[in-house]
Amino acid sequence: MPGPAADVSAEPLVARDLRKVYTTRGSPSVEALSGVSLEVRSRERVALLGRNGAGKTTFLKIASTLLRPTSGTIEIFGHDADRNPDRARPLIAVVPQEGKPFFHLTPREQIYTYLRTRGLSREVAQTRTATALDQMGLVEVQDRLAITLSGGQRQRTMVATVIATHAPLLFLDEPTIGMDPFARRAVWAALRELTRLGSTMLLTTHYLDEADALSDRLYIVERGRVLMEGTAEELKRSVGGTLKVTIAGQTQHVDLFRSFGTVMTDGTSLTVIVQPDSLGELMAIAVRERLTTTVGPVTLEEAFMRAVGRSINEDE
Amino acid sequence: MRTSESPAPYRAFRGLSAFFWTEVRVQSHESTAMATSMVVQGVLLVFVFILDRSLLPVAFLGAIIFSMFTMGQRLLNEAAYVRIDHKATDLYLASPLTPEAFFLGMAAGVMLVYLSPVIILFVFAEIVVGYSLPTVLLLVGTGALVWLFSASFGYVISTFFRDNRAIWAYASLIFNGFGVLPPVFYPLSYFPAALQPIALMLPPSAATALLQASIGVTSLSIGAIALAASALAGETLAMFLFTIYWARRKVRED
Ligand SMILES: Nc1ncnc2c1ncn2[C@@H]1O[C@H](COP(=O)(O)OP(=O)(O)OP(=O)(O)O)[C@@H](O)[C@H]1O
Ligand SMILES: [Mg+2]
Repeated sequence: MPGPAADVSAEPLVARDLRKVYTTRGSPSVEALSGVSLEVRSRERVALLGRNGAGKTTFLKIASTLLRPTSGTIEIFGHDADRNPDRARPLIAVVPQEGKPFFHLTPREQIYTYLRTRGLSREVAQTRTATALDQMGLVEVQDRLAITLSGGQRQRTMVATVIATHAPLLFLDEPTIGMDPFARRAVWAALRELTRLGSTMLLTTHYLDEADALSDRLYIVERGRVLMEGTAEELKRSVGGTLKVTIAGQTQHVDLFRSFGTVMTDGTSLTVIVQPDSLGELMAIAVRERLTTTVGPVTLEEAFMRAVGRSINEDE
Repeated sequence: MRTSESPAPYRAFRGLSAFFWTEVRVQSHESTAMATSMVVQGVLLVFVFILDRSLLPVAFLGAIIFSMFTMGQRLLNEAAYVRIDHKATDLYLASPLTPEAFFLGMAAGVMLVYLSPVIILFVFAEIVVGYSLPTVLLLVGTGALVWLFSASFGYVISTFFRDNRAIWAYASLIFNGFGVLPPVFYPLSYFPAALQPIALMLPPSAATALLQASIGVTSLSIGAIALAASALAGETLAMFLFTIYWARRKVRED
């Protein structure tokens, strides 16, 4: 549920033409964001995708009032996050990239004390802590000091701490990094549940299946700019086909398949993106040439690779 | 369209007590650090014991003030560690917990935990020396001010580091330098006369000068007492207010 100061009629997040230039003494300045505009609407789950160094964390830090933009504006529920961060802060919660829980707290203490610092009552903090521990599969280790936990268990603790806040707007920077497939799905379920309760979230991830499963909408960021915006389905469609045919070990056959659609090669196999109606013809060639093929749906990963790859080529 | 609902008023120390207890819980695991926090004081007391026992009343007061002073160094380490290594600072600062509550809660948490060896030291001093009540009250007052000064100072310094490796060298230089060189463990009169006004203006040695005067080891003119007292109180207040400002500013990197 949004907190008392959540202006529910204002968009959770609106960024306009955000620029960030890092200046560090002794090293050249880095333009991490070059005019990013994006918005997150109420109860949306939006994913920010992009290669390493694209500017995702920079954006999240500015949005979560931890970094000042060089120019541009950013509003959190109608509050200017740069000029009036005190208004924005009560409305947000953040899983920082590579954040760790306090090593000398147990997961239970970490979550509970964090909720208390956010001003929640003892009773609410207790119930929410129990729920979050359960949701994140931490019950077995809830009373062990975080220093004795595995990397994934620590990350689960961080996520549990933040989801237990039920903050109106959540920023999650690679929340599922290092988690096993079960834990990742537990995070997805917990985030969906939060949406149901009224929260909005912006997250980053390098797991494209996760972005596909979780986000209502996504932005691809490349070199500090928004390259694409849309739903996962829209992005997948932009690749020019809905099926991908992977041909193992035969990279020399590129030319045979070019006419069918986009052909990508990673050195050991060929991937051809095709429309369902041309699949038969393609398979006929594959059978004639005795090639081992697998057919599957186009995934967000292909769409991402192609969109970003094309942008890299254009720049070169 | 915006609703006219007015947001909650800003409360500067919102979340303070909860974060204070978090920090107490975190710090209380460092029993080795608690014990070793007494090493420098202990060694100096042993030297005084061997070299000149008549100086023990001065040295015990110095050891207690020094202990309060080095709590700023603990805070410096803790604040930098939590920010740089854990990145947990982001978790706490992008939240309703205010930056000033974060600073003060962490400072008070560190202080509470490191106070236990100081209390043991105090009890020991009472047994060996037996200070009068006014001196004890003055010790509590000046000790609190010295702590607040050094905690504020330590927190500000912590924001300048991007890497934990360099910290210990600077921190031990600053804290041992200001705590050991000036007349904290020894009488003010042993300090070069020309530099005595400076000693009266540095918080740790201002505190010990007042304490030494109260046990009759050092005689201070009214002017010197006023200088030491106003320097200690004024610098502490100024440092504390600056730290509140700085903590708010430094939530956000530039
Ligand atoms: N504190 C800093 N000082 C200088 N440059 C920085 C700083 N932080 C990030 N950068 C640079 O800004 C750019 C964007 O970094 P950012 O951390 O936002 O990327 P990211 O998209 O989150 O990458 P990743 O997927 O690796 O987490 C990079 O080129 C990075 O080197
Ligand atoms: Mg990042």
